Amino acid sequence: MNLRQLIPVVFLGILLSGCQSKTKHYDLRGQVLDKNPATNQITVKHGDIPGFMPAMTMSYSVKDQNGFQPVEPGDVITADVIMANNGNEYWLENVRITDESGRKTIKPTVHRLDIGERVPDLTLVNQDGKSFRLGDFKGKAVLLTFIYTRCPVPTFCLRLSGQFAKIQDDLAKTPADFAKTHLVTISFDPKYDTPPVLRKYGLAYLDNDPAGFSHWDFASTNAGDLRKIADAFGLEYFEEENQISHSMVIVLVSPEGTVAKYWSTEWTTAELEDALRQQEKVGIVPAQADRQRKAG
Amino acid sequence: MNQTVRYVIFTALSAFAWLSVGSSPSASEQRGRELFDLHCAFCHEDPPAGLKKQPPKLEGVFKAKHLPSGAPATDKQVRKTIIQGLRTMPAFDQRLSGPDINDLVAYLHTLN
Repeated sequence: MNLRQLIPVVFLGILLSGCQSKTKHYDLRGQVLDKNPATNQITVKHGDIPGFMPAMTMSYSVKDQNGFQPVEPGDVITADVIMANNGNEYWLENVRITDESGRKTIKPTVHRLDIGERVPDLTLVNQDGKSFRLGDFKGKAVLLTFIYTRCPVPTFCLRLSGQFAKIQDDLAKTPADFAKTHLVTISFDPKYDTPPVLRKYGLAYLDNDPAGFSHWDFASTNAGDLRKIADAFGLEYFEEENQISHSMVIVLVSPEGTVAKYWSTEWTTAELEDALRQQEKVGIVPAQADRQRKAG
Repeated sequence: MNQTVRYVIFTALSAFAWLSVGSSPSASEQRGRELFDLHCAFCHEDPPAGLKKQPPKLEGVFKAKHLPSGAPATDKQVRKTIIQGLRTMPAFDQRLSGPDINDLVAYLHTLN
């Protein structure tokens, strides 16, 4: 190949490399708390990762089976966090176990509800200080997730609320879909996330329009019931050093009030919307009017 | 080497030394930068997709009269924003200490 032939090839190579979405690499060191072979994910309590996040407990996918298989809860590991697609995808590579001595100290995690099991009908208090029950939404497909308003991680709570806002907007374009669906964001930080704090937080995601609360509740409850709801859906959270470490869980509740689907860290907004619409259509309980709430 | 050349070299070296000392960050600014990298950079430097709104870049945040929110660009206002949050920006209340926030503000002042 002479120089004249080579120039376009080099130029094309540069162009294509510029088109690829960039990936970022961060060093992780932490202890594995949980392992889920069904999703190839491990939950890791890790230290500070400068430029990515402060010390946190998070679930990560491990795409490489050779990296995933040997790891057990309790292991101390090092790994590379790979972030791609503008932060919408991240996973672990080069997972190495540095200490296996903690394997016996990890308690088994609570077994979450299976698909098809009934969601507990616990009472929550929303951003307006009004009580409601998860069972109030029978007849509607409900997308439910967990956050705390002080969470600074853009790939976690900030992303969840940002994308729930998009789902809210998208569903509002079709009144039939809007009427048969509901969104619930539950804070696991009830001490800080009081109804006024949740209301202010919610308004930021509803373009300051409180009418949006009729389709999207921001709620919490007492510590005991919160733990019951979290255990039912497999959410892990615990307070440590002025922050709350937590995993990510999104639950789709069928119009019959049963668990229809779970997601952890890997999901797209389109996927959630499609699943919501599908549930809304297969629901056998006739959609009720908006749930009954006591006035005032 | 004549007197003039020695004088020029001495002046140049003195100026270089002065500039080096002048541009080195203070301990507070250095710590502020570390805190910024840990707590702020992910959103404000290169935010991932999926957020409700893109967080503003903070270069020159104190060089302008107003903050991106429109509030006056004062230490008091920036401290308030960090502690209480603003719209979709989370509150760093209880996460960052008073000295932490002092260091962060000191570092933000160095951004051009």
